[in-house]
Amino acid sequence: MSATARDPAPSPTAWQRVQRAWVRATAAWPALRSILPFVPLVAAWWITSALEVFPKAFFPGPVEVAKSFVELVRKGILPEYLADSVGRLAVGAAVGIAIAIPLGVLIGTSRRAHAALWPVLLFFQAVGDIAWLPILLIWFGFGLTTMTFVIVYTVLFPVVLNTVLGIRSVPTDLVRAARSLGASPARVVWEVLLPGALPNVMTGLRNGLGYGWRALIAAEIIVGSSGIGFLMFDARRAGSVVEIMLGMVILGALWYVVDAWVLAPIERATGQRWGMVTRT
Amino acid sequence: MKSLTLEGLSKTYFDPYKGTQVTAVRDVSLSVAPGEFVSVVGPSGCGKTTILNMIAGFLPHTGGRILVDGTPVDGPGRDRGVVFQSFALFPWKTVLDNVGFGPKMRGVPRDERDRIAREYLALAGLSHAAERYPAELSGGMQQRVGVVRALANEPDVLLMDEPFASVDAQTRLMLQEELTRIWQERRTTVLFITHDVPEAVFLANRVVVLSQGRVLEEIDVPLPHPRKWDALVEDDTFKSLSARVLARVRSA
Repeated sequence: MSATARDPAPSPTAWQRVQRAWVRATAAWPALRSILPFVPLVAAWWITSALEVFPKAFFPGPVEVAKSFVELVRKGILPEYLADSVGRLAVGAAVGIAIAIPLGVLIGTSRRAHAALWPVLLFFQAVGDIAWLPILLIWFGFGLTTMTFVIVYTVLFPVVLNTVLGIRSVPTDLVRAARSLGASPARVVWEVLLPGALPNVMTGLRNGLGYGWRALIAAEIIVGSSGIGFLMFDARRAGSVVEIMLGMVILGALWYVVDAWVLAPIERATGQRWGMVTRT
Repeated sequence: MKSLTLEGLSKTYFDPYKGTQVTAVRDVSLSVAPGEFVSVVGPSGCGKTTILNMIAGFLPHTGGRILVDGTPVDGPGRDRGVVFQSFALFPWKTVLDNVGFGPKMRGVPRDERDRIAREYLALAGLSHAAERYPAELSGGMQQRVGVVRALANEPDVLLMDEPFASVDAQTRLMLQEELTRIWQERRTTVLFITHDVPEAVFLANRVVVLSQGRVLEEIDVPLPHPRKWDALVEDDTFKSLSARVLARVRSA
């Protein structure tokens, strides 16, 4: 009668044991899931450098980069530069968002504002952030103003464009419902359009911060006297490939942390929770 | 309880493809007495949703007048509550905050509007869902919230635009029975738009048949409230009224 009585479940194979251990391990330490994909990459890097396919000075391995990380942290250079870069990004992003969201709401809600501003916006978006550097250097010189301008500029466009998109994709019935429940047009913006646009605004922020981070490094390479971009460019002058590689690793790792630990949790707590965007 | 009156209501708009003026609603006059439940039934494209959108103030009318309790209205307002086919619940607000939205807009403090919202949720047997988000509820429950949200704002007139068209058949029957019960308790003035003839007859005191933007006929429904499908499916008055309304709709 019972199939299970005659055919007892086969004892797990070695592979199944590994799979089960993996499920348990990732449940206990979710960070494992993010680290594992890098294991083969780092291994390949390490083997290539250890075999000295290229001269060590041109292609140092992970061990050398890790050593230089420890050394630069001990000297206090790396924490200081990192704080400079992240601080600049934070200030630039805050200013950019403070301009972009109201501007996006204006363009998204007013036909006239859209007609007047949209073509101008597309024009300046096409000019691009780095293309401003030559003129900014003449106007503001090598310094914080120039770098902040570049970041604000970079963050601005993705946030504005996505806010407009978000506001326009709020279903008409939601606005009508709010109006018939007694909401004034101003309260509709605050109670309906902004929360309704939030998933798109978050997408804009994510893109904007990503672009801003890259623009900052570029600006630091050209204008900076500190920061991760400056560290890398300064290392080139000294011919230190190790420090350049360290800079690259830090750029990637830092962005990953911001994305996975800050932006993704916000998205989970808002749009995904409300069923407005599907989980990926 | 207030009355709703339409006097020669018309809507014409310019069709840029045809290059001519098109008449969507033509000289519709209708009066809903205080506490009366009126269904408007007609085939799609007959202008019934346009009429509701004009009464709600979502669309401007191009002729005639809309009066609530004898006063002309213009633009949306809390005197006319609306229940949407799409439910139109705010996805980022809990059920409690959706229902408390109207009171919030008129400045009712948090504790008081939560109390109001809970009272109305209890009316529809939704107390257990207060802290949940709309996406976590079934379609039938979402529309219960939609009805309760409109009622909690104590409108003079309740406008319902095919509210049960997008829920499954079983749930629809339950929601219809609930609506007749709630209406009997609250005696709100209701204008209910539908293309479903049995639904129109089941719910209303009076059915208005609409065709090509004008009123064809008004049929009274002298059945007692609250109404139950079990009792009415075999009821001769209900059956003959439904047949009469259906014949009129099909002749349109």
